[in-house]
Amino acid sequence: MNRYAALVGALVAGALLWPAAPAQAHPLGKFSVNQYAGLTLRADLVEVSAVVDAAELPTLQDRSRADGDGDGVLQDAELERYAEAECGRLADGFAVTAGGQRLAWSVSSPVYTLTSGTGGLETSRLECELAAPARLDGIAEVRADNGYRADRVGWREITATGDGVRLSSSTVPVESVTGRLRAYPQDLLTSALDVRTATVQVGGDGTPGAVAGRPLDMPAGPGLLAAAQERVEAALGGRLTPVVVGLAFLLAVLLGAGHAVLPGHGKTVMAAYFAGRRGRIRDALAVGGAVTFAHTGAVLVVGLLLSTSTALAGERVLTVLGVASGVLVVLVGAGMLITARRPHTHTHSHDHTHSHGHGHGHGGHPHTHGPGGHAHHHDHGHHHHEPSDSPSEPGKASGPGEANGPGEADGPGEARKQGKANGSSEASGTEEASGPGKASGSGRADNSGALAGSGGRGGRLRRRLGLAGIGLAGGLVPSPSALVVLLGAIGLGRAGLGVALVVAYGLGMAATLTAVGLLLVVAQNRLSHLITARGWAGRLSRLGGRAAAGAPTATAALVVVVGLGIGLRALA
Amino acid sequence: MRRNLIRFGLAGVLGVGLLGAAAVVARPDAPTPVAQTATQQPVDVLAQRIARAQQQLRAVPGDWPGWAALGAAYLEQARITADPGLYPKAEEAALRSLRLRPDGNSDGLVVLGALANARHDFAAARDRAREALAANDHDAGAYGVLADALTQLGDAPGATAAVQRMLDLRPGLAAYARASYDLELRGQVADAETLMRQALDNAVDPHDVAFCQAQLGDLAFGRGDLAAAEAAYTAALAADPSAFGAQHGMARIGAVRGDLEGYGRLVARMPATSTLVEYATLLRAAGRQAESDQQIELAAAAEGLFAANGGADGLAAAELALAQGRPEDAVTAARAEWGRRQHPDVADMLAWSLHSAGRDAEALPYARRAIAGGSRAAVYAYHLGMIELGLGQPEAARASLARALDTNPHFSPVDAPLARRALAGLRTSGGNR
Repeated sequence: MNRYAALVGALVAGALLWPAAPAQAHPLGKFSVNQYAGLTLRADLVEVSAVVDAAELPTLQDRSRADGDGDGVLQDAELERYAEAECGRLADGFAVTAGGQRLAWSVSSPVYTLTSGTGGLETSRLECELAAPARLDGIAEVRADNGYRADRVGWREITATGDGVRLSSSTVPVESVTGRLRAYPQDLLTSALDVRTATVQVGGDGTPGAVAGRPLDMPAGPGLLAAAQERVEAALGGRLTPVVVGLAFLLAVLLGAGHAVLPGHGKTVMAAYFAGRRGRIRDALAVGGAVTFAHTGAVLVVGLLLSTSTALAGERVLTVLGVASGVLVVLVGAGMLITARRPHTHTHSHDHTHSHGHGHGHGGHPHTHGPGGHAHHHDHGHHHHEPSDSPSEPGKASGPGEANGPGEADGPGEARKQGKANGSSEASGTEEASGPGKASGSGRADNSGALAGSGGRGGRLRRRLGLAGIGLAGGLVPSPSALVVLLGAIGLGRAGLGVALVVAYGLGMAATLTAVGLLLVVAQNRLSHLITARGWAGRLSRLGGRAAAGAPTATAALVVVVGLGIGLRALA
Repeated sequence: MRRNLIRFGLAGVLGVGLLGAAAVVARPDAPTPVAQTATQQPVDVLAQRIARAQQQLRAVPGDWPGWAALGAAYLEQARITADPGLYPKAEEAALRSLRLRPDGNSDGLVVLGALANARHDFAAARDRAREALAANDHDAGAYGVLADALTQLGDAPGATAAVQRMLDLRPGLAAYARASYDLELRGQVADAETLMRQALDNAVDPHDVAFCQAQLGDLAFGRGDLAAAEAAYTAALAADPSAFGAQHGMARIGAVRGDLEGYGRLVARMPATSTLVEYATLLRAAGRQAESDQQIELAAAAEGLFAANGGADGLAAAELALAQGRPEDAVTAARAEWGRRQHPDVADMLAWSLHSAGRDAEALPYARRAIAGGSRAAVYAYHLGMIELGLGQPEAARASLARALDTNPHFSPVDAPLARRALAGLRTSGGNR
């Protein structure tokens, strides 16, 4: 009878029509039957503590079953009987196997309580304790499958802990995120849990005690960072005044500089490289420039890939880039090794190598761009009065997007195109950044060390390749925060600003790395001056000579090792 | 200079090569299905879309189109699961989008409009849609919301124009489905079916397939073709076993055959007022009075909850009042609804309420109004016929009742036999004359 009204509602949303509730009767809707089951695994026993929280209407529906004598009033005895019966049904529906054996539950302490809800109605809470003997003292697998009231909408949650037995793996968490259905997360970005099965491995190797499954809604980074980011987003999303843009730019430069101070970014490699072959100031500048270039490019390319393709997982891209940068460093090291092993003459000895602890883990931000994946199709000229004329190309509609007229976010699509356009204009900016390298000659003109032997254009080319490799390796792995800023700007439809900020970020990184490089060069010069000026040369000449002969090989080997380390860390 | 160029050229080539290689290596990382749901259902595209949107918004909380898209996705989930508990979330997401971008944010307004439609606040939906169109007059979704709102408000020409615009802007499932309904309301049932099949051809997602099949089932049911309807509902349930529309259709087919179990399962899963009233009416006709009373009690509770939350659905309230034997209350509720909107459904409900209250003379214009747009719904014709009968117009009543039964001999397990009996009585008396 009411099909027509229902239909239109259904076309957009909601076959059933329910108003907004300023005062929600039940946090999950008045139809919901919400379930929680907490498994405790012991050496000889499996226990389940089950809770069923039913909203107003299901509670009313159950009432006639609970009301045994049909007098419309639920006496205590009736409540008890109903709790017992319902826990029995729950036990029937909640199938658990241990080592392939279906457990036979014994039910204890069933409790059914009614609480007053909205509209003069009641909500209900059923609690049951199930227990069954099981042999879990060895290695075993426990599987749970909750089939109780499977057709009802609602929150469904399972947890598992071990008591006296070790859970080596578990698909469900240890703790209830709702406090056993007492407080449902109201977070907009959390969907209702619908966990109906659990698989737990008992015994064997693994961390002692229980292993947490998936924490429900972990933010993508440390809370502090996320909060700061939100503020940045808010600033970017608001009105853009020159002051705001300037501040954002400055902040990006500072962040980039700060980021480059963190371990990583090829500082060790750079140090080893310079130590092995007498770095010059322009080398330091070149490396800084290359890092900026590589980092900006990597952020832009990865950002574009992530925002256009939802199939791409951000974590994986970062891993692959990390491996690539490791391989690059290994190649540079190998190149150094090859030149170092060639016959040559040495005049200087170097015996200081910098070693930075490599502990820089990229927080693992998965950045996939939102609900995209919608294709657009414009075949105009349809007229529904002649429906048979309309061509229907297979696969034309991208299901979910089309189905629901509203909210197909077309905005980001435009923004992405914009981002691409801006990306290409960026390369020139970085070239300039490393420009000063030409101007600074710095007096130490000798093509030092290993290269002196091979000399000529080939040597210079190899040196440049080496420097470029170090720079690329240092910048290839995009910093997650720069990526977030870019994606955020794209999402806000301000891709141009995002690109500018990423460039600024890269400039900041370049400044730090160049400064480190310059420091290294200066330190190196001081040291060699010291050695020659103090006349230690006599005492050290024999030792130093031998060391000097071995130094390029040693530093080359160090570079290779560091490269392997970078690659392996990325894989881990 | 040249050296520099070479240097950067080399660095660039190397970088691009590495990034390209990285992209190729990383590419095959297809979206991993959610292990837990995958075992029970076909991959839930919508759930994945929601999860991805949530993840994205956690990383980029200022992404206003993202918030609007999330709101739309929540609404769609509410539609699919028939769980209105998601409405507040959808609303909050849309409002968040609008707070982030108050101007020119048609996406957010469209979600709010769609939500208003779903909550039966059609005037608000119309206003939101117009605001959205003021911001972006190429927003097909806004035309969709506008079309739905205008249809329900009784502005048939306006609705048709909006649907046409939507078809022009983005022909696809959503536009075809709306156009199909528009045609159906004007009595062009065959064309409506053609368009709905076209929508089905465009459907990829199992939920959408189920939706279109269920609509095709309803259309087939509306013209009395139970076999075709059952086939369509079966196809819908094969695509999505939990599709509410198809379950409802199956329950109705079962009821025609005297089997009310489908209804029992339906209301057990989703106790909504109008479904409960339908079930109660069927139970009473089957002589199961006690169970019927139980369902009526539930329906009253559902209606009370609805009202307690500030909702106003005159149709459901009138249906309930009629089922409870309070025709005057039904008239009041239906009249209030008619004041808000002039949809054929409301005209029909008001006419039937008036008839039940013994006010056939007042009822007649509304009953005629219900079919004035061309709708061939059997129920409308039956109601008109009974009112005409009450007013002593046997010729008109005979024509109307015959039309109802011709259109769909199974339109209601309760009313169809009554129509048949009345018609037989008319024929007898007509023969005597």
